[in-house]
Amino acid sequence: MTDAIDVDDYADVWVFVEEHAGEVMPVSWELLAEGAKLTEKTGDDLVALTIGEAVDDVAAEAIERGADRVLAADDPVFEPYRADPYGAQFRAMVEERNPSIVLIGGTHTGRDFAGRVAVPTHAGLTADVTEIDVDEEGILQARRPAFGGDLLATILCEDHRPQMATIRPGVFEAAGRDPDREGEIVDVDVVVDESDAISDVLERVVGDTADITEADRIVAVGHGIEGDLEPALKLADALDAELAASRAAVDEGWIDGSRQVGQTGKTVRPDLYVAVGISGAIQHVEGMNKSETVIAINDDPNAPIFEHADYAIVGDLFEVCPALADRLTDQRAMEVEP
Amino acid sequence: MTWTIVVGVKQVPDADEVGIDPDTGRLDRASAPAVMNGPDQHALEAALTIRDQVGGELYAMSMGPPNATSILEEAVAMGCDDAVLISDRAFAGSDTWPTSLTLARAAEALEADVVLCGEETTDSSTGQVPPGIAAHNGWAQLTYAEAVDARPDEDRLVARRDVEGGHELVAADLPVVVAAAFGEFPPRPAPLHRKIYGENDFEPTVWDAEDLEIEDEVGLAVSPTSVGSMETVQPVERKSEVVDDVDDLAAAVEEVFA
Ligand SMILES: Cc1cc2nc3c(=O)[nH]c(=O)nc-3n(C[C@H](O)[C@H](O)[C@H](O)COP(=O)(O)OP(=O)(O)OC[C@H]3O[C@@H](n4cnc5c(N)ncnc54)[C@H](O)[C@@H]3O)c2cc1C
Repeated sequence: MTDAIDVDDYADVWVFVEEHAGEVMPVSWELLAEGAKLTEKTGDDLVALTIGEAVDDVAAEAIERGADRVLAADDPVFEPYRADPYGAQFRAMVEERNPSIVLIGGTHTGRDFAGRVAVPTHAGLTADVTEIDVDEEGILQARRPAFGGDLLATILCEDHRPQMATIRPGVFEAAGRDPDREGEIVDVDVVVDESDAISDVLERVVGDTADITEADRIVAVGHGIEGDLEPALKLADALDAELAASRAAVDEGWIDGSRQVGQTGKTVRPDLYVAVGISGAIQHVEGMNKSETVIAINDDPNAPIFEHADYAIVGDLFEVCPALADRLTDQRAMEVEP
Repeated sequence: MTWTIVVGVKQVPDADEVGIDPDTGRLDRASAPAVMNGPDQHALEAALTIRDQVGGELYAMSMGPPNATSILEEAVAMGCDDAVLISDRAFAGSDTWPTSLTLARAAEALEADVVLCGEETTDSSTGQVPPGIAAHNGWAQLTYAEAVDARPDEDRLVARRDVEGGHELVAADLPVVVAAAFGEFPPRPAPLHRKIYGENDFEPTVWDAEDLEIEDEVGLAVSPTSVGSMETVQPVERKSEVVDDVDDLAAAVEEVFA
């Protein structure tokens, strides 16, 4: 049995700032904004964590974006990311400093190492959260969709600390920068050593890390495109839209995973979302149902996406997309001409 | 050298069949048939790939009620050599902490070199169990694995991991826990003779909490998280207007920007 702990020994809200080779994942700044809302209610400090090599600029930016304090673990062992050194370092920091709440981006990295902190510290870890709040007693209310989004469950962790959550990217607004903000950067002891590592990154290839969460207009492609992006690109061009995709299109390798919308992808909230050859599985809809207006192009009149669309057309996307793109371009030309 | 490979499989309500009771607003899980979690089928295929590469024994393990035997029969039909059902009332109310402890202890008892799991389950979708198993045992982990490459001469497993905007190749020391990315390992069909064997002649070994010496470390009491409340999410209201031609669609688009 684990020993009972005194929850009053734990304070502060921690936000993990995820970076790879100096590039910060946008969800980190979204979490700083949410973390600030929590500390406003609890009176705690908002603490950012940076784990990496030569991440002074990242630490400074975390202060500008709202952190009161940054805990920086700086060492070559942390670059590139690996679960075992990250987990061990993060765990040591938690055990030494007793945070009450720890927020981590629900990226592949965050969801990879969070358990390596929560398991040995016997913390409560809620995955893939889309809403957070805190009550008067400092109990985190972590809400997450269940069963593909039909239900919203509130998960609590009353007797264990820290209260940890991984949070889905794109759900919250990012914290802005204020160059005049001041805060403290604390260099923490690095407790891990290369000789203890049980994994080894042989190669890392990262190209396009599009941020579709900021787009006002999105053309999303699904399995129906059969590997031919051309019609969708033409439509995206006419609409000045970003390209996104269902998981099926990502799995086929037609489009990069950073553009995936849905439960295991990103949450988007554009003014216009055009779903092209996407069936409308619950896991997909969960990531796009905050869109203002949804248009669906699908040749199956019974596709579930039609229930989640404002306007829909039953037709072959290879005909509809180019025709719609031309029509929109013509309309715009007419507007410009006197 | 051959490896001992263990794949974790979970019985879940068929996601396509789960309805919501209109009177209570609660999930009507009971009416949905119980099936093997879809992502676990891909993990099983990844496990078969590794066994094809190095040889060895492949076990399926499932923590669940006695009727989860049916998915273990299916796992054996798909190619597992043997299977273990970990079943005990003491597990009731377990969140991911005790669940991953249970599976970690079972993997240890089976002397696993590699443990495979699905990326996440369709009923709770936390994705935390595979890293949890690795953390409980202090083992390496490879999550979001899209391809696996066994290196028996190095005692390591290499996986291509999906990362935001790309991928990476990571080599992990054995023992290692792998979470297979869903969609990357489409399962091969089970041969008929294995199906017949699985359904008619096969019985899994059954372990309880005492067998794994974790009676005091499982269940509701040691679970750090609890469900406070459940709300039904109202579907977003959409116009659901089906237009007949592209001109009407273009007009609808213009309306959005008006
Ligand atoms: C654990 C888990 C997590 C998941 N996470 C996600 C996620 O984050 N995001 C996600 O999207 N999915 C996710 N999925 C997968 C999801 O369940 C669906 O499999 C996926 O969304 C289907 O993608 P699709 O609609 O592109 O493909 P399909 O379901 O194959 O649909 C293709 C559609 O295109 C139409 N079509 C075909 N040809 C044409 C044509 N010429 N013209 C017009 N229409 C055409 C078809 O009628 C069909 O409706 C997840 C699944 C699991 C189990």
